[in-house]
Amino acid sequence: MSNIIKTVDVTDSLENLSEFCDIENGRISGKIFSDKAIYEQELEKIFARCWLFVAHESQIPKTGDYITTTMGEDEVIVVRQKDGGIKVFLNACPHRGNKVCFAESGSTRGFICNYHGWSFNTAGNLVGQHESGIYEASDFDKSKWGLKEVAQVDSWKGLVFATFDPEAPTLKEYLGPMTWYLDALFDNQEGGTEFAGGCIRSTYECNWKIAAENFVGDILHAGWTHDSAARAMLGGAVAKVSDFEESYSVNWNGHGYEFALDTVGNVAVLGESALNKYVHTIKPSVAERLGEFRSNMVASVSSCTIFPNFSFLAGQNTIRVWQPRGPNKIELFSWVLVNKSAPDDIKEKWRKGAMMTFSPTGVFEMDDGENWEYCTRTSKGKVTGAQDLYIGLGMNTLERQTDLPANVYKGQLNEANARAYYQHWYDHLNAKSWSEIPDRNVGKAEVE
Amino acid sequence: MANQTETQVELRPVSMEQHHKVSCFLAREYRLLDEEKFDEWLALMHEDVHYWMPGIENRRRENLLEHGFYASDHMAYFDDKLRDLQRRVARFQQPSAWAENPGTRNVHQVSNIEVYYGETDGEYLVHSVFQSVRSRGMDEEYVIYGRRTDVLVEEGGSFKLKKRLILIPNATLSCKNINTFL
Repeated sequence: MSNIIKTVDVTDSLENLSEFCDIENGRISGKIFSDKAIYEQELEKIFARCWLFVAHESQIPKTGDYITTTMGEDEVIVVRQKDGGIKVFLNACPHRGNKVCFAESGSTRGFICNYHGWSFNTAGNLVGQHESGIYEASDFDKSKWGLKEVAQVDSWKGLVFATFDPEAPTLKEYLGPMTWYLDALFDNQEGGTEFAGGCIRSTYECNWKIAAENFVGDILHAGWTHDSAARAMLGGAVAKVSDFEESYSVNWNGHGYEFALDTVGNVAVLGESALNKYVHTIKPSVAERLGEFRSNMVASVSSCTIFPNFSFLAGQNTIRVWQPRGPNKIELFSWVLVNKSAPDDIKEKWRKGAMMTFSPTGVFEMDDGENWEYCTRTSKGKVTGAQDLYIGLGMNTLERQTDLPANVYKGQLNEANARAYYQHWYDHLNAKSWSEIPDRNVGKAEVE
Repeated sequence: MANQTETQVELRPVSMEQHHKVSCFLAREYRLLDEEKFDEWLALMHEDVHYWMPGIENRRRENLLEHGFYASDHMAYFDDKLRDLQRRVARFQQPSAWAENPGTRNVHQVSNIEVYYGETDGEYLVHSVFQSVRSRGMDEEYVIYGRRTDVLVEEGGSFKLKKRLILIPNATLSCKNINTFL
């Protein structure tokens, strides 16, 4: 297929990479948040290689429906096909490279470049140009100059992912046993989930990994960072996570999910008793569908990141991608998720509640942004950035005797997921292809 | 056209004196925010206030939303009732609002004020344009511009804010948060 995207040449790994990441000894270097050479390697060895979240199926239900987003810094169009499938194209005309779709979402029969009138159908085929006779005289072969299509697109329970790398493992292999846990949010009711309309985009002066790592397994910050928001929303402090009898950090291939089993700890901070009640009401049917264990996770105190930059909070139902825009900048794309089968007033309360807590005006998010920006900023100091940062909490907490899938660690107040995340990050930067990435998983790969 | 002001049956401008009163009200409201007098600011809200700042979506003209670039059931920065505004103020007032200490220094400015009689007696429809400048820390500066449509209700010689629609031109917010009211 000539219109499949050409992969980028993979350059050599940085020679001194190991200086920045010593996971066994629980340390990373601040330099990884601001070094330009590291960032360039990330674009090439992570964002041009891994499966990246691009859309929720509900955003583009009908033929010709599209959204635009980015994979790393590359702009793409995600469009629903006539056969019900989804294609993802570079949002760039193959003639001079101009952007062909300027809107963030909509519905269309095709895309026409403003520059020389190259016109593409929703399947990406070049179907016409302004002054088409000129092209015929030059033996131009239209079939070779369609929109460039990304190598692989696949979806899992409504979440659409794409990768530029034809050698990437399947999405199923990529997610591995994490899907067992993801079901607690994305498949807890018949009919699955949908996004509320719209996407809020905001800009942080921070490194993308700091935000992703916060969601991969840092509930520790919540009790301290978010004290003010909890008091505002609940009239009291955040649930004391260290009091939970049972909680976990689980990870696989750099993805991580930390969670308690308190059912409603996350949704409670939206301050809408009707939402707590909804979660309790559906709980028996969730237990029937997914089992007792996961019915306790639907809106419990938890957070998750799918490597590299897709994160969510079950309960608040904020879904987000930390889009890299240089070593010290991200654009945050955020959406609100609801169960399709939920009553309209419940969906509405979730839409408002998620924005009230986790959005640029969200009372929780405000205190996060400040932290992440200054973690990044200090790392720009030549000397400061060269210092070690501690990431050693919960060493030796691996659960060897467990029936749970993935790599399971005891307790959610634990930096095990963050370590696994940075280890996987390091492994990618150190590898020239997928085959060079070591398998460090020790837990159960199978989900029943 | 996108983001056109909703057409009123008949726009009747108020007297110069009434216009002046409304302008003074808006200026005072902004000064209260600049001075962090949040309780006094909340007291200006009508008990049924709807304080709405929808997210702005970059859509083609043939694919416009309910209101052009925004829709009532889409994501929003604010879609608040009085209880929600009170909760936001409650966070500002916590000693543990770490990101508010040192405090944010605010300048709110309002201009292009148009005042018309509203749909019912004692209600006024007010259009304005605002600029919000915030500075934090040693060097952070954030500027937000936008347009507003308010419904004010005259009450006891002053006004209460019953509705506020806030529209920014940006489809991507160029800063990390909006830790103020607009």
